[in-house]
Amino acid sequence: MTMLSRVADRLYWMARYLERAEDTARLLAAYNHLIMDIPRGSDLGWDVLIRILDADTAFFRSYRVGNEQNVLKFLIAEQDNVSSIPFAVRCARENVRTTRDVLPEETWEQINELYLYTEEMAEKSVGRRNRRAFLEEVVNRCQLINGMLATTLPRDHAYRFLRLGHLLERSDMTTRLIDVGVAEILSRDGVDSAIEPLLWGSLLQALSAFGSYRRMIGPLIEADLVVEFMFREAILPRSVAYCLSEIRGELKPLNNHGPALRVLDRSRRKLARLDAGAMSREQLHQYIDDFQALLSELHRQITATWFNPHTP
Amino acid sequence: MNESWKSYQAGNFFDELITPAGQPRTAARGAIRLLQGLSVQEMADRRAAAELAIREMGISFTVYTEGGNIDRAWPFDIIPRVISARQWQAVSDGLRQRSRALNCFIDDIYNKQRILADGIVPADIVLESANYKAPCAGMSPRYGVWAHICGSDLVRDGDGRFYVLEDNLRVPSGVSYMIENREITKRVLPELFENYSILPLDDYPSRLYGTLASLSPRERRRPCIVVLTPGIYNSAYFEHAYLAQGMGAELVEGSDLLVADDDCVYMRTVDGPLQVDVIYRRIDEDFMDPEVFREDSALGVPGLMRAWKAGKVAIANAPGSGVADDKVIYAFVPEMIRYYLKEKPLLASVPTYLCMREKDREYVLNNLDKLVVKPANESGGYGIMVGPHSTAATRREFAALIEANPRNYVAQPTLALSTAPTYIDDAVEPRHLDLRPFILQGKDSWVTPGGLTRVALVKGSLVVNSSQGGGSKDTWIVEGKT
Repeated sequence: MTMLSRVADRLYWMARYLERAEDTARLLAAYNHLIMDIPRGSDLGWDVLIRILDADTAFFRSYRVGNEQNVLKFLIAEQDNVSSIPFAVRCARENVRTTRDVLPEETWEQINELYLYTEEMAEKSVGRRNRRAFLEEVVNRCQLINGMLATTLPRDHAYRFLRLGHLLERSDMTTRLIDVGVAEILSRDGVDSAIEPLLWGSLLQALSAFGSYRRMIGPLIEADLVVEFMFREAILPRSVAYCLSEIRGELKPLNNHGPALRVLDRSRRKLARLDAGAMSREQLHQYIDDFQALLSELHRQITATWFNPHTP
Repeated sequence: MNESWKSYQAGNFFDELITPAGQPRTAARGAIRLLQGLSVQEMADRRAAAELAIREMGISFTVYTEGGNIDRAWPFDIIPRVISARQWQAVSDGLRQRSRALNCFIDDIYNKQRILADGIVPADIVLESANYKAPCAGMSPRYGVWAHICGSDLVRDGDGRFYVLEDNLRVPSGVSYMIENREITKRVLPELFENYSILPLDDYPSRLYGTLASLSPRERRRPCIVVLTPGIYNSAYFEHAYLAQGMGAELVEGSDLLVADDDCVYMRTVDGPLQVDVIYRRIDEDFMDPEVFREDSALGVPGLMRAWKAGKVAIANAPGSGVADDKVIYAFVPEMIRYYLKEKPLLASVPTYLCMREKDREYVLNNLDKLVVKPANESGGYGIMVGPHSTAATRREFAALIEANPRNYVAQPTLALSTAPTYIDDAVEPRHLDLRPFILQGKDSWVTPGGLTRVALVKGSLVVNSSQGGGSKDTWIVEGKT
């Protein structure tokens, strides 16, 4: 099966954007839930979402304060900033538009419906009243598309590059989420310890992993355990370890996989060295930073090897 | 007979399905009887079913507007156009003859230029034409064929006779709609097919594949064929994707291809560069290779001409083919047929006045209200003036255009274009139509049985282009007694 580099590139990005839309919606929904439990007067703010998504520069170009209204407007209603849900959906759709011939026929219809839905509803869903329904619907529709792809696409290169985009974006978002917990607690010097379990609980919820955590680890939410669980649990689909091992499986059948595989294995070795219990918060934050750099390196290697190969 | 048909009057034109006496023509009899037997409601239901099928099948074309590009659903009329196989055979023979002569002409022009030396066609109009591409000189593609895919526009005049209106030798489009139209009719009027043997159309992609494969410079069981598209924003992108899929070929954009130091063309794949044997190009030659033609083209492939001239890749249609579809050159096609093939033209051409000739120009300027004036070098129905439908202001404007650039204009008598019953709102009314068959020319030649019928949906209008409000019909070539 021939696969053009351009088409592979677009499939990869289509999957990344679709995952980004879903994960952003999950994050907002979980945080939205959390905020209602936070005692009044607590300084846990909405601006933390902007930090998770590395969007400080773009955000503060348009807004002065990171309050609820501004942050949600930025992430839900704005069409043109790269961190917003509508932006991710639009990019996913544009990538499907030009790869329709390698995807199941329903893909275009479904992504188009998702696009039309966000176009119509985003603006109205900034306020608390509609917010939750909107975020849920975005997650559901993303899952619908992913489910359709997973159950119909032949396991060839097209599927492979979709998976790579998917898994890489997911690992990236998972590490970002964990980093929020770490950074948030860092900044409060461990003062308000009542909030901590709530915060970690909501992060687990964002990753749809709360139930699994309780069953596999136990009912007590502890920072170290959550970090270990989300980074290293081999059988949890949203854990970093799981994503990396799946990425490995998708890289193997590709030609010239050597360099990408080397970066991947470096990340896996780094993962094996994680010992959240023995690390200070500063060390953990630094660790996550380094880990994200490795993921970026993997992305660059995939791009260089398969999307922009050197000419003969 | 239901209400919709009661007032049908073919008028002063040749109607393809109904005789002046109001009776169905022989080949169309079965279809007309059945359609007339449907109730008004049933007709409306079938039309709605067709519209739904078009949306579901995703048949669309792009219209350029100021507000951006819009994907529009393909306009389709459910009443098919019926032509007898015996009649069609003669047309088909004429088209193949024409395609052979045109290819002889192109090959001659880029090589010995005998026809110019012999004074059959004036050298200046060929060599000064924007469609003459000097970088192609000296090339001789396999079988001497340059225009492998030709879409010729045919019309029928008041006497029912077929005329060639123009030959499209560069990147003719519409063939996917021809195939899809048949598919829609099968879905919404299946009972029409019961008593007919209609020549099938859906093997076009495999015929095209065969023609393209026969051009491969490398002897391979399955040569690597690609369809080169300008991309998603082109109005015919749907068709590019359709044909690529139909042939199992890759749909590529310019940036997917590269020409290496060995002059071979490669496509960039995730498994590394893969050598390409045949390019079915759907981009204009001016945008094909920025090293040779337009430097500002971001759509093309640098070095593509070099690869083609080195014989490392076949390109269909060959660059430079457009030299024969200039509307001035059109006037000389009957001469070409006599000159190269020593045959009599089987298909009629429309008499054409060349404004570059003083006598012709004078006649044209004095008779603008009777003639159709066309720029020599446009397609898609743009820049055309239909004299009898024009205002005095438009005629003054065209007179000035002609005086300023006579080489660029030709004029033809306004033909009494044939009509066919077309379902408009709640009534069946006559509408003018044309026909674009496609001729494949490789080692052998082949003509589509029928072609894409385009119909002017506006009453009395002669403009059939889909970009300007035209519709389309399924076209049947039927066997049996006529």
